[in-house]
Amino acid sequence: MQNNVNASGNTETPYKTAKNCRHYAMCKIDFLGSGVCTSGLEKQFVSYYPQGRMILYEALAENKISVTKKCVEIANSCNLCGKCDLQCYFINEMRPTKVMEALKNHVETFIKNGGKIKPPKDDNLLAEIRKIVGDNWATNDEAITVTYSHDVSPISEPKIPDYVVMPNTKEEIASLVKLFNKNNIPYTMRGNGQNLLGFAVHEGVIMDLNRMKTIEFDEKNWLVKVGPGVSAFDLQKQAQKKGFRINAGEPAALICANIMCSGIMSTFSTTYGINADNFIDAEFIDKDGAFFNLNDASSPNLYAYQNLQHKNSPGICVSASIRLHPMTEDESGILVPFQTLDRALGFIKDCAIRHIGLALGIVGAEYISAFLSPTKAMASDIKDIFIHKLDIPYLVVVIGDRFAIRTIDEMGFPYFDQRLFNALYLGLPSLKSAQWLNLVKELSDDEPYSYLRIKSFADLLETALSPSPALYSQEIDPELRPFFERLFLLEEITDLVWLNMYRIMSTRLGRKKPFLPVLIYLPIDPVLINDLKDKFRLIAEKHQIDNDMGFITPIDHGKRCIFEYDYFFDYNDPDEIKRIRLAATEANRLVDEYSIKTGTVKGHPYVLYQGFCRKENLLYS
Amino acid sequence: MYCTRDFAEKKTYCIHNSNPRILTVKNKPTIALTGATGFLGSHLMASMLSCGYKIIILGRRTKEETLQERISRLLQWFGIEELTGQLELVEIDFLKPMLGLPEAEYKKLCLNTEQIIHCASDTSFAERKRDIVFKTNVTSLEGILEFAANAHVTFLHYISTAYVAGANGTICQECIPCASDFFNVYEESKARAENMIYSFCKKESIPFTIIRPSIVYGDSRTGRSLKFNALYFPLQSLMYIREIYLNDIQNHGGLKSNPHGIFIDKEGYLHLPLRIYLPQEGALNLIPVDYFVNATMKIIVNASPGEIYHLTNNSPTTLEGISAYNERFMKIKGVEIIYAKSADNVLRNPAEELFDRFVEPYRLYLSDNRIFNRVNTDLVTDNFYPPEFTYEIFKNCMEYAIRVNWGESIFVEEHRES
Repeated sequence: MQNNVNASGNTETPYKTAKNCRHYAMCKIDFLGSGVCTSGLEKQFVSYYPQGRMILYEALAENKISVTKKCVEIANSCNLCGKCDLQCYFINEMRPTKVMEALKNHVETFIKNGGKIKPPKDDNLLAEIRKIVGDNWATNDEAITVTYSHDVSPISEPKIPDYVVMPNTKEEIASLVKLFNKNNIPYTMRGNGQNLLGFAVHEGVIMDLNRMKTIEFDEKNWLVKVGPGVSAFDLQKQAQKKGFRINAGEPAALICANIMCSGIMSTFSTTYGINADNFIDAEFIDKDGAFFNLNDASSPNLYAYQNLQHKNSPGICVSASIRLHPMTEDESGILVPFQTLDRALGFIKDCAIRHIGLALGIVGAEYISAFLSPTKAMASDIKDIFIHKLDIPYLVVVIGDRFAIRTIDEMGFPYFDQRLFNALYLGLPSLKSAQWLNLVKELSDDEPYSYLRIKSFADLLETALSPSPALYSQEIDPELRPFFERLFLLEEITDLVWLNMYRIMSTRLGRKKPFLPVLIYLPIDPVLINDLKDKFRLIAEKHQIDNDMGFITPIDHGKRCIFEYDYFFDYNDPDEIKRIRLAATEANRLVDEYSIKTGTVKGHPYVLYQGFCRKENLLYS
Repeated sequence: MYCTRDFAEKKTYCIHNSNPRILTVKNKPTIALTGATGFLGSHLMASMLSCGYKIIILGRRTKEETLQERISRLLQWFGIEELTGQLELVEIDFLKPMLGLPEAEYKKLCLNTEQIIHCASDTSFAERKRDIVFKTNVTSLEGILEFAANAHVTFLHYISTAYVAGANGTICQECIPCASDFFNVYEESKARAENMIYSFCKKESIPFTIIRPSIVYGDSRTGRSLKFNALYFPLQSLMYIREIYLNDIQNHGGLKSNPHGIFIDKEGYLHLPLRIYLPQEGALNLIPVDYFVNATMKIIVNASPGEIYHLTNNSPTTLEGISAYNERFMKIKGVEIIYAKSADNVLRNPAEELFDRFVEPYRLYLSDNRIFNRVNTDLVTDNFYPPEFTYEIFKNCMEYAIRVNWGESIFVEEHRES
């Protein structure tokens, strides 16, 4: 095994591929309609999903663990179907099947060479746990525990827990809490490990809530009650079937965990809100194993907000009643281009104040290019084209009904509508060789992007770019190309409304390098935002960290916005890890300074474990 | 290639692309030149250097390049390989007092300058850029005029445009403009600037000339050019539209072309129905940059103070003429010129609609029927006229433009060739 090779940024070998797993848990949801790893669905532990096998293989390669009984079972449970290649390639341009194959080979060779399979440790506590959840749902086998040693946070230190438990009911969780308290064992709840601050890894016990996937609709009241194992993607899918939409975060994030950690935010937060706007009630188990409901008069006041960076968890959220929002048939998405951030900010503020559009967000060229491009190399070219040829450093995405779109028309902003977006998206490879782009700036001379007003511009763009699933897929790995050609025939995959609801592209932002977002709440003030943006950039440059603006979404009718600035780094490069930590510390300090200076800026880390608070308490207290 | 001699050290330098001749520097004034990084200014710079003038370039750095780097790149394009003593570069700010220079440097500049050629200009037609255009073409002129007064120059030459005459003129005289209606903000700003120069120079007794070229294209002998707007831009856009549809026909069976009657005929010509609507019959007044330079050089030597000179063509080119050249060169058929007041109610195909957008800023120049009086010019240039815009010239210019990708790879291409 190749445990002595530098794994930075290179995914040629199984080891390097495993080392570059982003831990986004996207292989646990069926976001491409290609199916999900069968063994994962059956066994539920992350270890049986491609993500878990990647971590397992990495641990074996680095001699961190031995071959155990579960290790053999995990290796054998993979049927090399290749589904993970499709999913992982879509996001990260990686093909995990070779890791799965290498894992199987490793185990097979180990056994063939007479290697001794490490037996499970006898453990009284484990026996007690199993009495509560059943034999199959608790383990101390290191082949499983090691796969819970990472989360999505790129700067957290991996920690291997002693036990992993998968309860199925709230009663089981309550019993487990009491048991752990009695034995003085620390425990941590885990959804899909989407915590950006490294709080989903811990020693002691990890309680993986992925078995608790109940979804109960209350259509009369536009509500849905979900268990803590329901992902944003799966809930959105179910809600859409019933003609509704939820305000959803990252697709693989589990709804309850997402609310718990920081509150749900998305481009739809412009109208659907953040934090307590997204639910009407939730059920908890407190630190003693007792139940309480958020709306009980005697419950702790989780609607309050305290400006504390390390607030303790209020308990374990075991269900939440989530708001459903109606969808109308005339919804569509548009992209409004801007030459400067100031103008884009003016536009979103105006829209938010006037209640125009359902979802609003400014994205920078890094986001645009990463989201749209099927490969890293193309993303780099496309970013350059957007900035230098198309003169589009910023795009505002607007989702709205026909009245909203008509209003934006009347406001006089040229935009890419769904048809133009389709042409641009599926014709992306043609942009690289498009000589005519040299003329686009001239066409914008009198009015920026005035060419978008040409009545037949969509026809022209389609002629010039010849968009098609085949063209879009031409730079994709030839083996996977047929699948992607079929995928991009699906209407939803280029539909701006669908893409904003399901957010399957956002994890592509980490394809080039994993990223650490600096998230803040602040007024939509161009001077303030530009000032912070410049300072975030200077901090990153000082520490030689790749960086770019992420997104800005207005909230609370334009009074505030969510602003994300991203720092990119290679988490297989220890030096870069050191530098990103320094940069992150300085960026947080900067936010603190602005928070004191302005009284209106709030850093996202302060919201940790306060996701249930009222946004008014968070934003204005 | 011909030789020029260094101002101070009598060195010999090589200049490509011209006829050999020996030049002297005796009795040549030291000229401060603005706009030397632009199309006309750079050609003037190269020509004056080759004629042995000592030049002080007044200019700005950009975000990416220093003035020195910008000028070096241009000199290389002109084939001027080495210069010592003949060329001085001064980074200035037109909008600041004393051109943004420390007092001692400013005084030295005033002392060393005998004449000024003010060529710097913003040539944008866009109304949206009115403030910037006026700032560059009018506001910054104040600093130059003050400099001219402080330097006690023997001449201030201002490079203007023939189109200051305004939109309503038919016969345009070589006199200070009094028009109030212009085609665009560029013309308006240049007219304002001429008036400022006239008043200031009269008050301060500064000898001045105003040189008014019409539309300038590349070198009539070689086709070389540094800028590809005006004449070039509509042709460049037509070429790109042609490529878009050729690609559709050749690679996609004409899926998007066929419905609009776009096809390749038996002779291999692209049939592209493209109606260009013009408000009236007229012609494009074109002069090549080599004529502009040579005529300007004659004016500098022979000018009378306070005179205005039209560098225009007595044989303007009709759009039909250019269209015919283009049909032959690009192998496109179907382009039709239609004279109508408005085309608003006409149903147009996508290519027409796009081309119309490209042509819009130039539409009035394409159907221009102004006649430019050039009595003063003929007198000082000894009846030296620009050539007629023939197919050969058109072809040379287009071939060069394509070779350097319409300016995109101009310095790369030139470097490779040298």
